[in-house]
Amino acid sequence: MSLRLLFKTLFRRKMVTGLLLVQLALTLALLLNSLLLANQTRQQLNAPTGLDLANSITVHVRPTTKQLRQYPALGDLLARQLQALREVPGVVAAAYANQPPLRQGGNQGNIFKVGAEEQTNIPKVPNYFVSADFMQTLGLTLLAGSWPQHHSGTTEGARPLVITESLARQLFNEVDVVGEQLNHGTVAAVVSDFYGHRGGGGIMYNYLSVADLYSVDWGYTLLLRVAPGQAERVRSQLDAVLRQVDSNLEIYYNRTFTEQHRYLFETEFGLAVLLSLLSGLMLMVSMVSSYSNAHFHVLKSQQEIGIKRALGASKQLIFIELLSENWLTSGIGCLLGVLCAVGLNQALALVISIPVISLWLPVIAMLVLLGCVTLATWYPARLATLVSPATATKTL
Amino acid sequence: MEQFLYYLKASLISIRRAPLPYLITVLILSLGLGMFFANATFYYQLNRDPLPHKSAQLFFPQMNLVPFVAGGSKPIQVLSYSNVQKLAASSIPTAQAAMYSTDSYVRLDASQPALPVKLRATQRDFFSMFDVPLLHGAIWPDNSARDEVVIGQLLAEKLFGHSDVVGKTLLIDDRIFTISAVVVRWQMLPRLYDANNRNHTSETEQLFMPLETAYDMNYMSATMSRTLDDTDYRQLSTQGRTGALHQLQFWVQLDTPAQQQAYRDFMLQLAQSEKAAGRHPSAVNNQLPAMRDIVQYFAADSGDIKAYALVTLLFLLVCLFNASHLSLNRYLSNQYEFSLRRALGASRWQLQQQMWVDVLLLTAITVLLSLPIALAGISLMNYLWPDHVLFSQWDLSLLLTLVLLALGCSYVVTLYPAIRASFGGLNQQLKE
Repeated sequence: MSLRLLFKTLFRRKMVTGLLLVQLALTLALLLNSLLLANQTRQQLNAPTGLDLANSITVHVRPTTKQLRQYPALGDLLARQLQALREVPGVVAAAYANQPPLRQGGNQGNIFKVGAEEQTNIPKVPNYFVSADFMQTLGLTLLAGSWPQHHSGTTEGARPLVITESLARQLFNEVDVVGEQLNHGTVAAVVSDFYGHRGGGGIMYNYLSVADLYSVDWGYTLLLRVAPGQAERVRSQLDAVLRQVDSNLEIYYNRTFTEQHRYLFETEFGLAVLLSLLSGLMLMVSMVSSYSNAHFHVLKSQQEIGIKRALGASKQLIFIELLSENWLTSGIGCLLGVLCAVGLNQALALVISIPVISLWLPVIAMLVLLGCVTLATWYPARLATLVSPATATKTL
Repeated sequence: MEQFLYYLKASLISIRRAPLPYLITVLILSLGLGMFFANATFYYQLNRDPLPHKSAQLFFPQMNLVPFVAGGSKPIQVLSYSNVQKLAASSIPTAQAAMYSTDSYVRLDASQPALPVKLRATQRDFFSMFDVPLLHGAIWPDNSARDEVVIGQLLAEKLFGHSDVVGKTLLIDDRIFTISAVVVRWQMLPRLYDANNRNHTSETEQLFMPLETAYDMNYMSATMSRTLDDTDYRQLSTQGRTGALHQLQFWVQLDTPAQQQAYRDFMLQLAQSEKAAGRHPSAVNNQLPAMRDIVQYFAADSGDIKAYALVTLLFLLVCLFNASHLSLNRYLSNQYEFSLRRALGASRWQLQQQMWVDVLLLTAITVLLSLPIALAGISLMNYLWPDHVLFSQWDLSLLLTLVLLALGCSYVVTLYPAIRASFGGLNQQLKE
């Protein structure tokens, strides 16, 4: 079996081979980029959040009367709501906050060391007003200082602040920074990192005040930590429990942190699913094409195969020869496909965030494509082996 | 007609002779068209111009009127109340309106449960600038605060059971308002007047309140607000009117190029006078994007839809190549039939007519099959990207585009194979 002869056979069917090559190249390009995007989404979804996603729930609400949106009625409502939530079987801890973690954006502020604004200013850092149980509810670890007492009153001014580890390291290069002065108050404690805002200055940068809610114009969040395996059961009761406390309430959403996390990456997840679906369909289409190409070739070359058989070619040789033709086509298609994949990757990078193609990924994509093509041409190749040497006599 | 029926019959006989290859060709072509069309629906609807006769005359003025040296290539996306007052002092625009969106609760009386309703706080000219169609009543005579609202037909029917509700009252956050007008079921898609925070894909509001009243009621923007000094945003009615609390969108209508240039000059003069007064520490960076460019200006267009559009186009190409490939095999198998016809005296023109009937038949079947595939694709996309659900509607122009696209694809799929089959060497083919 000579490579030159294989090329010659392919060249004899240049139009058909050309069409097949284009298909294979485009399929590999899409497959590669889909793998890339799916892998990126998987990494984003599996990245550490510092939170117990499966056993935490967030309920975002807003009172529907103006009176309930202002202290002291709001303080009373919050106390009643938290009390009722703590009594739900399966709830381990409950707290309020002006906003939940794991969001795209929300209430943010810039933060800097007093006297060093230009050198240390970090914009868009999530700013939380939380109740005393917040640390326990989110399962955060106290790394330095002590969790502050509830700060009454709703003024924005100087107050004890809790910051996350990453923010402390960014501002001071260390964790033990209790007593340091920031533009929003004095650092009272440093806690372990948790995922704040995706669109913030840093996903693990957060600063908190254990205080009354500054404003509930955008609603507030009730956070719950539940016993393992109780999330769904507890969640299904929450709307009714909260409405029983006070019916003047709009419930925007009631989600587990797992759902909230997935919601944060909804766009990427959706695109990865759609591209994977299209890649699957493209592979299927390419398999049909390879099958059709091989099958048609076998039908048209029966006499040629018969002559080869009559001249002593074994069934195995005919089988390998046909598969080799397809492997050669697929190999060339794959090489062209890598070039197309780079082009597609650059085009996609203009509109979405997508990493560049790594070295190992084309190898995986090529193996998948070659596997599919081999599978598709197996049956026509088997058919070719059934061509009898007697067929050759018909040409005489 | 008789000739057409004959060609149709010949096509059907040819299909019946080898139905599986034909079915696969049609299925693959339909799959490519269906997936492409599903995404094309969103792409078309998201990028359409909702006011084509006016979108080049509506502008969103932007200035660096902030109390610090602003970085970035563009000014802050929203304006403060005092900034809007300064811009609104110009008499150049034909119409102008400041606005923002907020959450409110509506009920007919205190005994009813509150209904959450998206509210747009705006000014009188909003309705004429964006061609908001009125069903009943009239818009406020000026921009002053008043306890009057304009409501959507849908909300009117939900609250009162009918739409003729001008003069009736309702409670918004326990304050009594009189309904001055009712807007026809109106859905501006995309909602370009609210593009600065990617809200142009949301539904149109059902309640419209005078901006001054909304400020008096301390309504904060539900979508974007930034406090750039010590202003207490809870004191919107007082500090919010003087401090650097930015939450307003501001639109002006400038009908002629002369008006547009005059307004640019006005903005430049305003920036210079503010700078002289020490209220404009940043470099002058005035912007005046038109409504038709506003999504691009704010980089608020959907990258996911664009990326998927590119990929579905590639998929369509692959399907097209595949269908051509299958079709070529099919025609080459039937080459003998073509040759026989030619031997019996059929001209190449007659063979081409046969090919055209094949194309029409392929188009009809492909359109019929691609529509359910497109519907399935749209359902999947709505499930994965619920934010775009408003943009999944088909209209006549979209359907006609699909038919034309299917016709073009069918022609391409049939053209080369048919030519190849009908232009071969006659003797050789007959011998085969």
